[in-house]
Amino acid sequence: METYEDKYNNRALVIGGGIGGIKAALDLAEGGKNVVLIDKAPSIGGLMTQLDRTFPTNNCDLCTLSPHLAESGRELHIDLLTLTELVDADSEGGKFKVTLKTSPRFIDLSRCTACGDCFKNFPECVRFTPGLDHRAPTCMRYPQSTPYAYSIDMAKCKDVDALGKVCPANAIIPDDKEKLLELEFGSIILAPGAELVDPRPLEVYGYGVLPNIVTGLEYERILSASGPTLGELIRPSDKKQPKKIAWIQCVGSRSVKEGCVSYCSSACCMYALKEAIVTKERFQNDIETAIFYMDMRTSGKDYELYLQRAKEEYGIRLVRSRPESVEREPGTDNLSITYTITENTLPVRENFDMVILSNGFRISDDLIGLAEKLGVELNEHRFAKTGAFEPVATSKHGIYVCGLFEAPKDIPETMVQASAAACMAMEDLQSEGASKKPEEEFPPERDVSKEEPRIGVFVCDCGYNIAGLINTSEMVDYAGKLPQVAVSEGVGYGCSRESLEHIQQVIQEEKLNRVVIGGCSPRTHETLFQDTIRKAGLNKYLVEIANIRDQDTWVHLDRASEASDKAKDLIRMAVTSVALSHPLKEHVLPMNKDILVVGGGVAGMTAALKLADGGFKVYLVEKSGELGGIARTIRKTLEGEDVQHFMKDLIERTTNHKNIQVLTKSMIVDHTGMPGLFTTGLQVGPRMFYRQIKHGVTILATGALANRPREYLLDEHEAVMTQLDLDGFLEDHKDKVKAWKKVVMIQCVGSRCPENPNCSRICCQSAIKNALRLLDINPEIQIYVLYRDMRTYGFQEDFYREARKRGVLFFRYEPDDSPKVSGRNERVEVIFKDPILNREITVTTDCLALSTGLVADEEDTEDLAMIFHLPRTSDGFFLEDHVKLRPVDLPVPGFFIAGTAHSPKTIRESIAQGQAAAGRAQTLLARDTINLGATVARVDSEKCAACLICVRACPFDVPFINADGYSEIDPAKCHGCGICAAECPAKAIQLMQYEDDQIMAKLDGLFERIA
Amino acid sequence: MDTFEPVIVAFCCHYCAYTAADMAGTMRYSYPPNVYIIRVPCSGKVDALHIMKAFQKGADGVYVAGCLEGDCHFKTGNIKAAHMVAYLKGLLDEIGIGAERLEMFTMSAGMGERFARIATDFTERIRKLGPNPAKAGSDKTDKVAVG
Amino acid sequence: MITAERKPLDEIIDYIKPFSRILLVGCNECVTVCAAGGRKEVGLLSSALQMAFMKEGKVLDVKELTLERQCDPEYVEELVPLIDQVDAVVSMACGCGVQEVAKRFKEKPVFPAVNTKFMGASERQGVWAERCQGCGDCVLGMTGGICPVARCSKRLLNGPCGGSSNGKCEINPEVDCAWQLIWDRLKSLGIEKTYEEIVPAKDWRTSRDGGPRKIIREDLA
Repeated sequence: METYEDKYNNRALVIGGGIGGIKAALDLAEGGKNVVLIDKAPSIGGLMTQLDRTFPTNNCDLCTLSPHLAESGRELHIDLLTLTELVDADSEGGKFKVTLKTSPRFIDLSRCTACGDCFKNFPECVRFTPGLDHRAPTCMRYPQSTPYAYSIDMAKCKDVDALGKVCPANAIIPDDKEKLLELEFGSIILAPGAELVDPRPLEVYGYGVLPNIVTGLEYERILSASGPTLGELIRPSDKKQPKKIAWIQCVGSRSVKEGCVSYCSSACCMYALKEAIVTKERFQNDIETAIFYMDMRTSGKDYELYLQRAKEEYGIRLVRSRPESVEREPGTDNLSITYTITENTLPVRENFDMVILSNGFRISDDLIGLAEKLGVELNEHRFAKTGAFEPVATSKHGIYVCGLFEAPKDIPETMVQASAAACMAMEDLQSEGASKKPEEEFPPERDVSKEEPRIGVFVCDCGYNIAGLINTSEMVDYAGKLPQVAVSEGVGYGCSRESLEHIQQVIQEEKLNRVVIGGCSPRTHETLFQDTIRKAGLNKYLVEIANIRDQDTWVHLDRASEASDKAKDLIRMAVTSVALSHPLKEHVLPMNKDILVVGGGVAGMTAALKLADGGFKVYLVEKSGELGGIARTIRKTLEGEDVQHFMKDLIERTTNHKNIQVLTKSMIVDHTGMPGLFTTGLQVGPRMFYRQIKHGVTILATGALANRPREYLLDEHEAVMTQLDLDGFLEDHKDKVKAWKKVVMIQCVGSRCPENPNCSRICCQSAIKNALRLLDINPEIQIYVLYRDMRTYGFQEDFYREARKRGVLFFRYEPDDSPKVSGRNERVEVIFKDPILNREITVTTDCLALSTGLVADEEDTEDLAMIFHLPRTSDGFFLEDHVKLRPVDLPVPGFFIAGTAHSPKTIRESIAQGQAAAGRAQTLLARDTINLGATVARVDSEKCAACLICVRACPFDVPFINADGYSEIDPAKCHGCGICAAECPAKAIQLMQYEDDQIMAKLDGLFERIA
Repeated sequence: MDTFEPVIVAFCCHYCAYTAADMAGTMRYSYPPNVYIIRVPCSGKVDALHIMKAFQKGADGVYVAGCLEGDCHFKTGNIKAAHMVAYLKGLLDEIGIGAERLEMFTMSAGMGERFARIATDFTERIRKLGPNPAKAGSDKTDKVAVG
Repeated sequence: MITAERKPLDEIIDYIKPFSRILLVGCNECVTVCAAGGRKEVGLLSSALQMAFMKEGKVLDVKELTLERQCDPEYVEELVPLIDQVDAVVSMACGCGVQEVAKRFKEKPVFPAVNTKFMGASERQGVWAERCQGCGDCVLGMTGGICPVARCSKRLLNGPCGGSSNGKCEINPEVDCAWQLIWDRLKSLGIEKTYEEIVPAKDWRTSRDGGPRKIIREDLA
């Protein structure tokens, strides 16, 4: 067994390199902890990298995900081990001794440049992933893969010598061996994801037998620009564009049949809607789309609006029916779906060109083995078992879970859990003392301001990638003759360690003060070369990369001489531009490590406690007189856990914690500063004393309001109450409940309506919870639930099934034909329509429970939004920085959000987000200083006309006209887009690193040849 | 000169278009070498002046490439860029350079194929239009001066 | 602020056709703010003119300078070192600036590159609207702060004409009826009575009718 040099004895292991694992690893690393991230696959990225676009923004994933991946690849604290799995684990005294097995890649990662020569010459030897990838143009799972390297399937390789010779970087290791590593960890995060239910055994759908039936993921690959069809929508059988497509929901989910899972897979309704919308966006009236569904479960933040858009704006047909079968239309490659709708007793047959199966998630068999090795208990559905109020803690202390392995969910929830898991793991690692890798020491920066430019040009040949098409020594000679160039050299692979050291040496020996690299893309390699020149004593902004590979030799393969001329042009442009570059200072400020938590509900207290336990000072500000928020009035969870017991403990711990100062009856009144240096003004206590708090981070956990619309006799008739009222009533008045004969529940009261278009997410499960508890007290009660869609996502589906089994009756109503309610002495009469029998039913009920859900506290959020400069959604919830990838971060740096101030959610979900906010906060708090970067806009006050154009043009509201009468741009807040610089009519603004004279110099450099 | 080889400047935003251009490279989509890319953080950073100077210095065509609408890393930069390009097209028509020598395109980072196709199509468009009339005029002057 | 708009290029080119060296002068005040004649517009016009010349096979040498304020002689003085190197001056300032430059350099032709439009306010980024006509006898105190002289198409002083409908002007349905705005404003201030007061015929002598005007502050002069 190989021994692994254990440089840093205290770290976390993250298993699974999907988006959740990456996020957890990044958060830990940013928090100063060391992480080993392992994935079975040759590159990280998981499921998300295979999607075309993501809901609800319909953005392209690669654009938003790839920076995260690249970050993950280069982060100082992360060791990334691909093709690696856990084979053995042993725990002792809070430590885990783990054996990892790394399968051979047969490629040296430090040498592979991803040129693709191996794939071109020996496509059969290079690894593919399943699915539609057999037609993929590249064997990397997606084009911006991390690590950026290929992998070889040696078993399929017949001529190993020839394969080795084809690699210009000499990166192929024919005798690469399986490696076993034994490592110790303080904590483990499980993020292994889930697999998709295989639709093959579900014979009614004909997947794998009939043509033109694909799964949702396969359809994503077809739509994807980097997919096998390059984004062209064509159906597999005849490569023609389909004109009519159907989606079938709940394939393999919500069913107790063989081969199915009984829970709801939570993400499929949204992904089917997304796929249909994207399809419609592209083909408009040229294509028909229909979705067959049982309940449309669009219960996430703003998802209901997405559903409305799908129906109204895009004309996507929604058919409430679980199809009975899919068959081939005789003599064609088309398909016919047989289904029944409630309005019609006879089955309908309808033809489609293509059918997409929205298959759900399931836990793969190998995860059972993993759980066993780690001693982690699984639930009945084989997902990791977690605590009722510990959403990411497994049954084993020190092991946490996030993402699909915890329960089926979508990306934002996975991101929340990942940050929560990182927060939990950080706590375990904390006690172990300092765990930072030694920061690299840089020599002092040389002052080059008085020197004439002495430019060094280093041209990479990148093996055949550049030198295969053009003569790099010709480039070197050419560059050497350019003005101000002192040194010009060829460096082979410029990014190899030897070359980097050589460049560093030449800079020092030749007293160079500017550097040009002729090589690959600055997008991937700029930081590397910046680091190199910094090590040589130069400011890192004195380097420019001429992209003569990705944007020259790779794209002009058939025109060697033009490519050669162009390479010279690109190098010349870089030289003229770098001559004008000057040292830039990254803005650094000391960090205030205190935290302000606004809101003392479950989420706020959870976040405060996590941070206080981590040794940080927390100010917890609560508007009302007491901690607890809405949860103080909730008795039981759907799973039957005692909420009050939990709350009592939570409030006690919060109040008594030495690091937490609780300020009740307090209101935020003003706020200034920047992350690490905030000052917030409060009015405290009954006498409204004004005081200021200085803090580095702000967590918003202001909660939401229990909705109480004046509908259905609520607050007019004694028998009418909300689900929240009923939750307490049935505990306090068991005797009364025992006398009840009938209870009616109406769903979506005050939600999914014009006044409040969104879904409140929690009401379906509240109704089921209360129905089951009523039956526990009095099994004779007949309960009627009047609903629009039952949205019992994830494992809540089990309780929905149980409720049906125990005799609860469910009737669907349409919003334009809602139930009629009138008082009948102590009781209430409810008239509603049974859609199946198509006739009216009248029930006189002892109790009418209204599922009223949560709404944003408009007044509160409006004030806070104004004070903190935060955006809100149309319904008054705070809007996060990125709805998909940054659900805990607010757009103002240094602000995080948790709980129902973000959107309606369950207690468990609020706890997870509270932990996540604490985790995200710690990524900032780990630093002693704040580096604000150098690419910021700078105003020349002499030129500024105070015209306000920059103030109005800035997408982030950063510039303002200061007391001296000119525009001021706070470098701490500037995002560096340069829009103000472009729009300034007085040319008073320059964006550092992209100054006008540098851009003009590039143009000058380009046209010198022509002139 | 028997065949006219236009020089085209493409201002590409870092997050989408420049990445798409790299992607075209990764996937080996070839396009004419006439297109020179200048990287900017956001298409909204492209100044009308940069474009005018590019033409003045001798570019035969210029385009700005940003993220797809709604995908801008900086929220609205690509929309501002599109407005600026539309305005400048008017100015180019006024001085007789021709609006069709300038264009705005959008693409996502994954669209290497689209990048290559746009580069190819735009080069063809400019090739058909012939050399930048300002440059053609000044070439004449040079000859006069020399002759 | 004074608003202006660049002249059609043909007109500017016509002015400078006979010359080969020009000085293009911007102004860092009103015309910068309304994006007509600041440093950036100077750069754009310079580029455009040079290209227009190049197209004809001619060379145009352009010197660019943007003054803090072209309507003050001290700032105009900054042009002195450049003036001998050019054949003509093109000014991107409002009419005041053009005249100041012309006054200072009697021997050089001076041409305007913008049309000075009106005194206005910015409604939002890129949109300016007329607000004041400099009548010399302000009535805003009686009209709720909305000027009927500048904003009523007919400059009516005693309520709207018969053409006001749905709060819009009959001359241009995109324009709000100034009198509708005045009425709404007076009502919200609770001083509808003011509306009843008859305003006598306006004394236009304070406006342009008295010839070019001048302001003299004895204490400063």
